[in-house]
Amino acid sequence: MALEREAYRAIEDIVGKRNVSEDSSVTETYRCITSQSSAHYGPFNHQTPRPQAVVLPGSTEEVRQVIRICNRYGIQFKVASTFWAAMGYVGSDRAIQIDMVRMGGVRIDAKNMMAIVEPYAIGAVVQVEAMKFGLNCNMAGVGCSSSVLAGAAGWMGFGPSSLFMGIASENILGAEWVLPDGEILRTGSLGSDGSWFCGEGPGPSTRAVLRGWQGSTGAMGVCTRMAVRLHPWPGPKLIPTYGEVPSYKADGLENFRTYTLCFNEWEDYARAFQLFHEADVIYLGHRQFNMFGRDIKGAMLKILVDSGGQFSDLLPLMDDPYVKSENEKMKIDVQIVLAGLTERDLAYKEKAVDEVLRQTHGWKSEFMLDKEMRDFVLLYLLRLGRKNLNYTLCSSYEGNFGMSSNVFVAAPLMEEASALKRKWEQDTPHIAAVGGDSDMGSMSGIGGGGTTGWEFFVHFDAYDKDSIRGTKEFIDDSQRWMLSKGLGADMGRWNADARREDGYDYTQEEHDAIYKNLPQPAIFEYQWKVREAFNPRHLTGSYYRTKTPENVK
Amino acid sequence: MAPKESLVKMLGEERVIDDPKILASYAETRSFGPHFAPWLAVRPDGPEAVERLVGWANESRTPLVPVSSKGLKIRGDSVPSVPEAVVVDLSDMKKILSVNRQHRIAVVEPGVTYGELNAALAEENMVMPMSLRPKAGKSVMTDVLEGEPRLNPMVQWSYYDPLRCMEVTWGEGVRMFTGEAAAGARDLESQWADEKWQVNVAGPFMLDFYRVLTAAQGSMGIVTWASLKCAVKPLLHRMFVASANSLSELEGFVYRAMWTRFPDEIFIMNRSQLASLLGKTSGEIAVLKPLLPPWTVAVGVAGRELLPEERFEARSKDLTDIAQENGLDLRESIDSLDGDAVLREASSACVGTYWKDLWAGSSQSIFFVTQLERAPLFLKRVTELAESLSYPVGDIGVYIQPKHLGSAYHMEFTLPYDPDSARETRLAEELFDAASREIAGLGGYYSRPYGKWAGIQLNKDAQSLLALKRIQGIFDPNGIMNPGKLAAV
Repeated sequence: MALEREAYRAIEDIVGKRNVSEDSSVTETYRCITSQSSAHYGPFNHQTPRPQAVVLPGSTEEVRQVIRICNRYGIQFKVASTFWAAMGYVGSDRAIQIDMVRMGGVRIDAKNMMAIVEPYAIGAVVQVEAMKFGLNCNMAGVGCSSSVLAGAAGWMGFGPSSLFMGIASENILGAEWVLPDGEILRTGSLGSDGSWFCGEGPGPSTRAVLRGWQGSTGAMGVCTRMAVRLHPWPGPKLIPTYGEVPSYKADGLENFRTYTLCFNEWEDYARAFQLFHEADVIYLGHRQFNMFGRDIKGAMLKILVDSGGQFSDLLPLMDDPYVKSENEKMKIDVQIVLAGLTERDLAYKEKAVDEVLRQTHGWKSEFMLDKEMRDFVLLYLLRLGRKNLNYTLCSSYEGNFGMSSNVFVAAPLMEEASALKRKWEQDTPHIAAVGGDSDMGSMSGIGGGGTTGWEFFVHFDAYDKDSIRGTKEFIDDSQRWMLSKGLGADMGRWNADARREDGYDYTQEEHDAIYKNLPQPAIFEYQWKVREAFNPRHLTGSYYRTKTPENVK
Repeated sequence: MAPKESLVKMLGEERVIDDPKILASYAETRSFGPHFAPWLAVRPDGPEAVERLVGWANESRTPLVPVSSKGLKIRGDSVPSVPEAVVVDLSDMKKILSVNRQHRIAVVEPGVTYGELNAALAEENMVMPMSLRPKAGKSVMTDVLEGEPRLNPMVQWSYYDPLRCMEVTWGEGVRMFTGEAAAGARDLESQWADEKWQVNVAGPFMLDFYRVLTAAQGSMGIVTWASLKCAVKPLLHRMFVASANSLSELEGFVYRAMWTRFPDEIFIMNRSQLASLLGKTSGEIAVLKPLLPPWTVAVGVAGRELLPEERFEARSKDLTDIAQENGLDLRESIDSLDGDAVLREASSACVGTYWKDLWAGSSQSIFFVTQLERAPLFLKRVTELAESLSYPVGDIGVYIQPKHLGSAYHMEFTLPYDPDSARETRLAEELFDAASREIAGLGGYYSRPYGKWAGIQLNKDAQSLLALKRIQGIFDPNGIMNPGKLAAV
């Protein structure tokens, strides 16, 4: 349904003709296959709907005015910055896409350790600017090519640095937010006098309605600016690198140490995590390269570190006796980076890691102690700049399992989960056979430790309908297994209640049916009330999960 | 049925209080704001009773004022601001429902004090991070929920750490859990059986329920338990001190120390505040005060289960070096000032007369959050105001506490006065009022807007106030929860 001419012209007047388009050659590019959504769906030809226009606002005021037009004409809108997966795209035929690409500002307040960012300031840029002042930012698992603000406002935002730096939502200070009704809310001290340092209060925090554990996924208006807390960076102003594309490696970061820690038993692994959560020694902690799969990660790393490495080398390398032997020793592993804020600090942290390994019968992988390997891993974890590798094996992947709430429960079940996935790898041709265990993710899902941020990578072929369908069937099975173990929703289903399989928003009736049997339905009923209060015309789609209260029905 | 009879029928005779003396004690506060003795007080014995009570209050449109701590109400936030209110006294709900060493989480009811919780945690080799010398009867849960600054800001990844999950009955009468605990059954026993320990504060989904309750002064609902993040008990723990003649001289060191995250505890005090903290009587304070430096930064360093000596040595030596680089001499003691005594007093509960009242008999505190670099500006202006009113500047205590990994700094001025002197009381109130307005004008942020600050702060930002009204309309549509506190709302 095309927009009313009056509405379109009004938007043109606000942002300028150059910054709005309803040309199908433009709008068609703002669609996403629904299998990229933390709600793995098939078949391949299911895509998000085509927006009726794409709008590129250049300021908070322009955003506000565009949203007011949407309210006036009853047009849905969806905001996104760097468009990670289907959650950034519209869910109805009467909707516009707001693309924040024109707002990419970054300002560093070095003394007070914060960055004020606009939506299109990507992690790589914020990090580079911060490092000039001895500071660093939490780099969410989505990687440095994605928006810092969108990760913080819109999704979870954990990654290698979350244990030390906290996750994205914990790093939000003051925020400027255009609400779905077109009003501008500035949280905490920002609303009081324009200072960014505190995002809470006065009194109860209005930030409560802007995001919870789940981010707003663009379903609670548009966050236009935000202050994020920065953290110590004891390295140079610019990370020196060596090596050839794509095998960049960090060069000469003397006060950093990079290790892959290995364990015989998952119970020891969990215990080591507990000790690391209690002792402030880890700068970055991620089970990273197991994303390729237990059987092939060593060979993949050899390829990646060697600038002449080719993926055709994979099978020979997997048969290499040394690689094979070292890979086996890394069966249960995690990558860590220590950052010495002083020489003494580094020495203490080195000893602390050795003590944890002593107590948990663990060891440092020799294979990963090779200098070039260490330098590659260090740069990889610091920047998270290699998200292309998520897609390398089969052109696409989906996160599943996600056994993140309690490491002492999840870790002992890891072999059982891996066996389930291995069975699907062996019995069907739909997902890549990588050794079952492809669990990866953050050492902590919240600042200071307490949970993990894990997921299994399921590598599938996004251009093969059978592979997509087979992956869906596997995730159906892993969801059944998760529920049987009391582990909750499979990560591959986290957004299954946010967008229908056909790519469209759920209706309220459908959401009511989904949430009617929840153990504490008040959660979604209060979300319904919040939506009614702040988004009365329901313009932002069904990623904001709601259940109609019984007394309203 | 008359209100008292209906409450007796609901809760039992012994849980409904109408003794005028006891009711009057609920109104004892030094807050300068309006306050009333409650109509009745009730002592519910659990969340089910609270839920019934809130339902009754909605039907009868009776204001409810939750109270969890015992003793004098310093800020007046739990004293009724309207007549005919019912105080909901939760101070007898003292169960420590769970202590989990593996996840360092304790679940406590509202009446549990620091002393009681730390005794239980000691058995599991843990401690509860402290706020600055709370009253012995202070509810740990309320202290955390209201955002009282912690001595150890380095473990505050969230602004309200160590607060995690809660059980709340909202003003509209709906009872639920918050955070991670809300995603499962509303039954702690079954959650524990499933190895879920109420660790994650956020959500559980799109809405951060806990943020509706923080710093709310009981104006949104009644919390009946909270899970709190604990710390491993230190095996080695000392406090170091460095002195300065001016606040500005400490700035560089504190910023750098916060960057390293080496301190376990860190705060700044002027000599009046520190003397009040360390002295046991006004006489001791008088003797101590001239012996103390004008300004002191106190830095705690701990060693816990993992290599305690190594951690302690590395951190203490590094902090000493950082102090030296910033022109300070960080030591275990300075003349009569012993760092460990500061640690002991700062991190223990205050029994008897409240420590800020020892000097003059009573006191008022003005506190807000700001950035450290701006603190000298507020100090200068409050000093000028005190001088202009002939208030004894040398009596004003100053306490600066980093929060939230150093993102914000709690700055507090303590104004002692003799409550038996009408002139001193009037003077303190004049300075309190004038300084409160001046601080707001200079950008001091009353994130916890108690009493008169509510009007000053909330009226600064119409859009935030409107949003807050919308939120309160959702969770307490009939306005029964502690009305009058967030005055502008």
